[in-house]
Amino acid sequence: MDRRLFLQGLSASAVAAGVLPVTAAAAEAQERSEADVAKQIAASKDSSPVRIGIIGPGSRGKELVRNLLRVPGVKIAAAADVYEPRFAQLNELCGYEVAAHKDFRALIDRKDLDAIVVATPLGLHATQVLPALKSGRHVYGEKTMAYTVEEARAIREASGSKALYQVGHQYRYSPWIRAAIARVQAGEIGDVTHIAGYWFRNNDWRRPVPADDPGGKLEHLINWRLYNQWSLGLIAELGSHHMDIANWIFGANPTAAMGSGSICRYHDGRETDDNVQVVLSYPQGKRFIFTSTTDNAKMGDQLWVYGSKGSLNLTLEDATFFYEPAKVKRVATGVEKGVTTSASYQAGGEMPYRGPGKPVELKDPEDATTIAIRAFIHCVRTGDRPIADAEVGYGSALCVVQADKARRERREVEVPA
Amino acid sequence: MGGAVSSLKTVATLCLLALSTSAYAQSKFVQSHSAMGTIYSIELYANDAASADHAMQDAFDEIDRVDDLLSNYKPSSELSRINREAPLTPVTTDPETFAFLQRSMDWSRASEGAFDITVGPLLRAWGFFFHAGHVPDESRLATERERVGWQHVMLDARVRSVAFADHREMELDPGSIGKGFAVDRVVTLLRADGVMAALISAGGSTVYALGAPPGTDGWPVIVRDPRDGRGKAETLLLKDTSLSTGACTEKYFIQNGHRYCHIFNPKTGRPMEDVLQSSVIDPSATDSDALSTVVFVMEPKAAKRLLADRPQTEFLVLRASGACDSLHWRGAICRK
Ligand SMILES: NC(=O)c1ccc[n+]([C@@H]2O[C@H](COP(=O)([O-])OP(=O)(O)OC[C@H]3O[C@@H](n4cnc5c(N)ncnc54)[C@H](O)[C@@H]3O)[C@@H](O)[C@H]2O)c1
Repeated sequence: MDRRLFLQGLSASAVAAGVLPVTAAAAEAQERSEADVAKQIAASKDSSPVRIGIIGPGSRGKELVRNLLRVPGVKIAAAADVYEPRFAQLNELCGYEVAAHKDFRALIDRKDLDAIVVATPLGLHATQVLPALKSGRHVYGEKTMAYTVEEARAIREASGSKALYQVGHQYRYSPWIRAAIARVQAGEIGDVTHIAGYWFRNNDWRRPVPADDPGGKLEHLINWRLYNQWSLGLIAELGSHHMDIANWIFGANPTAAMGSGSICRYHDGRETDDNVQVVLSYPQGKRFIFTSTTDNAKMGDQLWVYGSKGSLNLTLEDATFFYEPAKVKRVATGVEKGVTTSASYQAGGEMPYRGPGKPVELKDPEDATTIAIRAFIHCVRTGDRPIADAEVGYGSALCVVQADKARRERREVEVPA
Repeated sequence: MGGAVSSLKTVATLCLLALSTSAYAQSKFVQSHSAMGTIYSIELYANDAASADHAMQDAFDEIDRVDDLLSNYKPSSELSRINREAPLTPVTTDPETFAFLQRSMDWSRASEGAFDITVGPLLRAWGFFFHAGHVPDESRLATERERVGWQHVMLDARVRSVAFADHREMELDPGSIGKGFAVDRVVTLLRADGVMAALISAGGSTVYALGAPPGTDGWPVIVRDPRDGRGKAETLLLKDTSLSTGACTEKYFIQNGHRYCHIFNPKTGRPMEDVLQSSVIDPSATDSDALSTVVFVMEPKAAKRLLADRPQTEFLVLRASGACDSLHWRGAICRK
């Protein structure tokens, strides 16, 4: 069986047949996959030294470091960044001095690293991940895997059992999302044909830049998300997580993408849109839609998975199932009792369901990033292939890059295999 | 000559700059945010709404981050992970969480257990967590006491690990120090954002006065006097320091006419009697938060001995009996 489908808990035949994998094979695959996950995420008994180099210890990089330092035996041995203040911040976080490099190549040239974390702006990922993999080091690369399809392919090819690659799609490790998706794959909400992702925020997406910034260099470095040079905007920064989950649930990558976007609210010199929509087409007519705005936070960050028998709501903290009203039932025939007429009209059938759902009950769900990082170190130590491997990264990179292309070209574009 | 003129100009420009960026040209902004079971509110001076908004956003994001680290309600927090795993095996944690635990244990050691973040199971037995206060029976208390005691928390600084001795099912509860810790983080962050004057309040129980409102000597903070019939309060001016208050006036229950307070003496395993309110001023909000419990629980003499050589630490303890104990206290309440 295809490794990726195996890890997604889907049998190839079930996917090919376009049916949900309620088959025994799929259930077994799911179980094996859960055993694989359990092994990777278990609290580590091994505390053998693992030396990490980090490229780009910015806001996400520091969060990854915090989590790395929760794994016994891990030491942050070196860091590379082009923004000087990062080094002091990192030292404070680690409580010891981390060797500092202005050029990431010097970090990759070091001989004392077991693995490298890349948490720089998207446009730089491939230029740093590729030489890191080629140097034989395992890599944890932040999402989105790469800025172009070619770069994503190159990373997929460069990674393997000698140089493992794990992508920063930590929701693959989230206990409640795993538990909920396992139930969806077991058929709990019927056939899923439609997934909607909302990521709404109400702020300008800017970070403060020191006042003294000749030529706007720091503005571009710190607010890189707002400029095309390194960023694919909201589609990449927020949408990529949702697209990864859609790929996971549908058990396939999309075949086509449509996109639209505008700068609607913040006319402040930014280049990336502050209001974005995407439609991804999957085999058998299935669809994922994504919408993101930056001036209304009502919807927050959530996904809705719609199936013929019910719906699943996924958030950053929990998962909740809702069920469709019961359909026709065959009843015993007998003497008709008659029905009373009235003038009532019921809008009920078309009204959105506003009642409570059934939350996925889990004992002690752990933070997804904490788990993803622990699993990465497990793989570094054992050589096991990461759950969020290069295939996972490649799938969501395809979605992001092609959706962005569609947005720019204002047409539907094909998503290559 | 030319040099003198241009340097004069520079001085003038600098003055103008100083004026335009000084707090005098600033307006005051307020915002609040609920986290860690309370409401954090911030008042700050900024040049415009946009920069105030960014500073507030940064500050509240930081509070949420600390909440994600230390909450004992969120199963995904780092502290919850420690509570789950430390009975089984030493848990390696990040330097920030480790430093937080070290600070907590330092105050436990210094106060000989008057301050103890492991006291949660006792509070639970007394029903303080679910508004179901009642005096528990002795056997329940005896069982819970087994799970309490800071000296059973084993910290290994070499590998940053935490373990509970003899596999005890303990519970670390940040309630008596975590808010101060969050406030300190916010202060550091706001200073880095260039904020010169702000008042940060964690539900009023811990406040930090950063700088002072323009043209004043400090942020006014009111300390109430809950003793019977006094009804008085005093207003203190604070600048670059924090004040934390512990009181039995809000969280308590009454059974058979007796009032039981949510602040516990870990040694007796019982609620504190007689003390109504404690307040501590200290440049560190983490410390003032912890110390407000320390001075609440400790004998006044012992508390004074403990804090005598910390001139920047001030405390005030008010008792139902009418007694008023203080050390270095800037106010006059005990002299009234
Ligand atoms: N998985 C997640 O949930 C998640 C969350 C946030 C961010 N991210 C990802 O993490 C990455 C970084 O985002 P961020 O928010 O931390 O950005 P950031 O700007 O805070 O950090 C990026 C860091 O890279 C540094 N950098 C830039 N150019 C460099 C170069 N040539 N060499 C070395 N360092 C360089 C910057 O100075 C900065 O310190 C992005 O890809 C983002 O999508 C992932």
